[in-house]
Amino acid sequence: MKKYIAKRLLQLVVVVLGLSFLTFALMYIAPGDPAEKKLSAQGIAVDPEVLAATRAEMGLDRPFLEQYADWLGGLFSGDLGESYRSGRAVADMLGESFVYTLELTVLSLAAALAISLPLALLAAVRQNGIADFLVRIFSFIGNSLPNFLISVLLMYYFCVKLRLLPVISDGSAKGFILPCLALAIPLASRFVRQFRAEILEQLGKEYVDAALSRGVKMRYILFCNVLHNALIPMITLTALSVGTLMGGSVVIETVFRLPGLGKLAMDAISARDYPVIQGFVLLSSGIYVLLNLAADLLYRAVDPRVEEGGDAG
Amino acid sequence: MKTKRKSAKRLKRRATVLLILAAALLALSLAAPLLMPNDPDATDAQSMNLPPDAEHPLGTDRYGRCVLSRVLAGAETSIFSAVALVLITFIIGTALGMAAGYFGGVTDTVIMRLADIMLAFPQMVLAIAVAGILGGGMVNAMLAMGVSAWTLYARLARAQVIALKKEPFVSAARLSGCGSFKVMTKYLLPNMLGPLAVNAATQLGVMMMGIAGLSFLGIGVAEPQAEWGSMINQGRAYMQLAPWAVLAPAGAMVVTVMVFNLLGDTLRDLADTEAVK
Amino acid sequence: MKKRLVAIILALVLLFALCACSGGENKNDEKILRLGESFAYASLDPHKDYNSWGTSAYGLTEALFKMNDRSVMEPLLAEKAEVSEDGLTWTVTLKDGVCFSNGNAVTAEMVIRNIERLAEVNERFAYLADFEYKATSDAVFTITTPEVYPTMLNELATPELAILDLDASKDIDNAPVATGPFVVKSFVPESTVEVSRNENYWDGDVKLDGAVFYYMPDDESKLMAMQNGEIDGYAGVSAASAEIFSADPDRYVLTDVAATRLQFYILNENRMSDEVRKAINLTVDCDAIAEYLSGTVSPAVGPFGENTAYGKVTKPAADTAAAKKTLEDAGYTLNSDGIYEKGGKPLSLKICYYPSRSLDSIAVIMQQQLKAVGIASTVESYEDPDGTYIATGDFDIALYCMIADKNGDPFYFIDCTLRSGAPYNCGGFESAECDALIAQLRYETDADKRSELANKIVQIAIDDNAFGYVGLFNKISVTAPGVTGIAENCPFDFYRIDADTDIVR
Repeated sequence: MKKYIAKRLLQLVVVVLGLSFLTFALMYIAPGDPAEKKLSAQGIAVDPEVLAATRAEMGLDRPFLEQYADWLGGLFSGDLGESYRSGRAVADMLGESFVYTLELTVLSLAAALAISLPLALLAAVRQNGIADFLVRIFSFIGNSLPNFLISVLLMYYFCVKLRLLPVISDGSAKGFILPCLALAIPLASRFVRQFRAEILEQLGKEYVDAALSRGVKMRYILFCNVLHNALIPMITLTALSVGTLMGGSVVIETVFRLPGLGKLAMDAISARDYPVIQGFVLLSSGIYVLLNLAADLLYRAVDPRVEEGGDAG
Repeated sequence: MKTKRKSAKRLKRRATVLLILAAALLALSLAAPLLMPNDPDATDAQSMNLPPDAEHPLGTDRYGRCVLSRVLAGAETSIFSAVALVLITFIIGTALGMAAGYFGGVTDTVIMRLADIMLAFPQMVLAIAVAGILGGGMVNAMLAMGVSAWTLYARLARAQVIALKKEPFVSAARLSGCGSFKVMTKYLLPNMLGPLAVNAATQLGVMMMGIAGLSFLGIGVAEPQAEWGSMINQGRAYMQLAPWAVLAPAGAMVVTVMVFNLLGDTLRDLADTEAVK
Repeated sequence: MKKRLVAIILALVLLFALCACSGGENKNDEKILRLGESFAYASLDPHKDYNSWGTSAYGLTEALFKMNDRSVMEPLLAEKAEVSEDGLTWTVTLKDGVCFSNGNAVTAEMVIRNIERLAEVNERFAYLADFEYKATSDAVFTITTPEVYPTMLNELATPELAILDLDASKDIDNAPVATGPFVVKSFVPESTVEVSRNENYWDGDVKLDGAVFYYMPDDESKLMAMQNGEIDGYAGVSAASAEIFSADPDRYVLTDVAATRLQFYILNENRMSDEVRKAINLTVDCDAIAEYLSGTVSPAVGPFGENTAYGKVTKPAADTAAAKKTLEDAGYTLNSDGIYEKGGKPLSLKICYYPSRSLDSIAVIMQQQLKAVGIASTVESYEDPDGTYIATGDFDIALYCMIADKNGDPFYFIDCTLRSGAPYNCGGFESAECDALIAQLRYETDADKRSELANKIVQIAIDDNAFGYVGLFNKISVTAPGVTGIAENCPFDFYRIDADTDIVR
């Protein structure tokens, strides 16, 4: 097991470094560079001489591999560099945004679970009944509306029509309700489908029939056996979606003005702020890969039959 | 609690109905040019943001274009791009996943690490890079989505192949002198296509949403091409003035995604009952 | 079971509702103005990047001169600036009693240090290092230039040339000590900025107690925050939002002013004949486009506002019949698809744009207008115009948007779009006459003559059908009734609040 984890961690490093190279290359090929974006930020034309001088000053006229090696060197000495756009340390910027994204992730995940677990149970128990039908309708609608539309709809009804919540959150608890809901609704819709399927699968197992015939109450079986057994796949599913959530959601963060990772990355990409983009890719892919590993290990711990090298998920 | 599993017969009937519905949607999107009441691209300054009337059954958008015509024109783009994207990623992913599972070793490591990289790649970075390098447009948006979408099938196919490889009929085929390619296409593929296809069906909705999301970022489908996601995004600003310009494409999207998702679910249920039998 | 679920859901809803109802309202008598801002800055150091566009808008920093609502220079920290006979030496006199927010007087020597710092830290102003500066007294200094520099006053009015107390500013990024009517209260990089009244303001009383600037890049968020009464106003109202606000004039005051951001297109002379370009310009109907963009842009004749002295040019009105005739005279005939063709080759153009500043709308409408006349076109969207079609010249029609009048003078825009070899002269426009006139404009000191030259130059480009000037963005501001003085009549983006900004309920 230890050897397996070590092997996976090594692969993780390869994956993350491979990604960083790929990102650097992509951004290098993409038209536009940080000097140009910085100078023309307000829609004023750039003088070619000024542009050339700025490029030279920022070291952008050096060969691609040299620039990458420079960044990699900084990385190995624990320095993520400074933003081209703001001059601030990339590590600080990532740290600040990470806090917002983490808060948003934890809260929306909690909300999604709070919505989806009871609904999935209800739908599974009343399979093909009216409740099941309604729950599935909810999950389909939630699954097929783009989140920018959900955000604007929520904001319009809760802020403008009902005047219950503020548009400007600025860190208040109230301000987190809508962005969490906007993230939680599509997530819950997906969870409901997946959880319902898991619970149904458990309900179809022989032990349920056996317990029922022994006179055990359905409610007891449901909460003590079925849920218990369905828990692991459900945790795996949840862990995997955490990976996606942690990358930040540009849409939600833009509409609700939360300065999270998604917004940071989006701004960095449009400004071609290479160091920030690199830092973001390192962080988000690292989290993603680690969570995947955690899900795998969890799977293994529960089901020892999973073969060495086999993927779960 | 009485029925834990629907009878295979009822499931089959439901699958048939859904298949017909899905086929109808595809047919509708193909026939869209014939059904459009107006030119979907024709702008008209005299009829901007009009509510539904006889001439424009679903109203007009901010350029005075007929929303119904655009929803119909968008059906072609939205549905076909999603179907094409799923098909292509399905084929590529399955092929790579099978190769990885069948040959193992270095092939496996390379393919699966590549999949890991693509899966861990923040999609937004990729999408913007693609849009920046290749320009906007549907094909490039599909490319941005496809780069990571194939990994799902690769992982599934690989797991299936690893499981099937140990079955006696595969060893028998190999012993009787079949080449790797033949074993894979003739013996392995037919036995794993079902579960894979079910996953592909459920991915249709995901892909449609993904392409729509790209248009929010200003990449992906660009004006004047009609596509539901970009229509919703464009209409969003006018939600308080001309809600029909948002609701019509959103409604079309919900219905379509629902049909495809239901189809996927039903096919999966069906596959499960077959497996039990 | 079902009941319990219902109960849980109800409890959740209640919880949300409770959260929503709690939260104290801190209403006191302070006059704090709350504004939404489309841009946010990483630092408050006005000399770096474009940060001064923020600090100037927030009322923190001031330059020596400012541009008034009609783009005319007015003294701000400086009393006057005079140029010597030979045009090489400028003498700038500071106002009496001008001081920083810490009470220190603004001296000529400090101003020079600020200019030198700007030249050092901002690439766009590196040329300022070519001039010589000398303080002749506490309130007077001279600028000597190697050659005649007619736009000196405009340079001194640029917001980047904000005057800071460089000795007292310990942390310029977060709390610069400057001369503006407000001082920093709190600053979150690229987010909310709070300012409070500068008790030591050199130019009399400041009416507001303070202001808060919320960073709201999304149009719908600004609209809804305004509808919900969470902000008192913002500049840069979108067309859709303006329509909503105008329906309720009791609650919202809309003001629009022709601003300086120009939407235009470049016609590629290397790929299209004179007749085709002429036909395009006769076809594109700027009035109709402005109508589609419902008030957010005004139809443009030339690149500069028609009320400026250097904005007096003419162009023929849109005339589709004349456009068709032009094409037919050039040997084009309509084919069965209703598209003009010549020698069996249909006329099909490539329109390039980037999805920003309503250029996507213009592309859509232009395509339809061209189609109605019989010119087919494909529309292509790019994320980065400067790195793609502007650089390669691979277009027939290139849409672009930039600030044409950045400091009350026409030279900058003319120099970067019309001169041979200029970065935005990428459609093959060449005119020896134009180049000679531009060279003259560079050194002309008389304002009237400058305008005359500018008008001549732009007219040549218009007559050559090298460009099409489509629209000038209006700056639309919305305020709650009683809010006055958020520079709603000023075309420049970098002015917002000042000492006279007020809330009268």
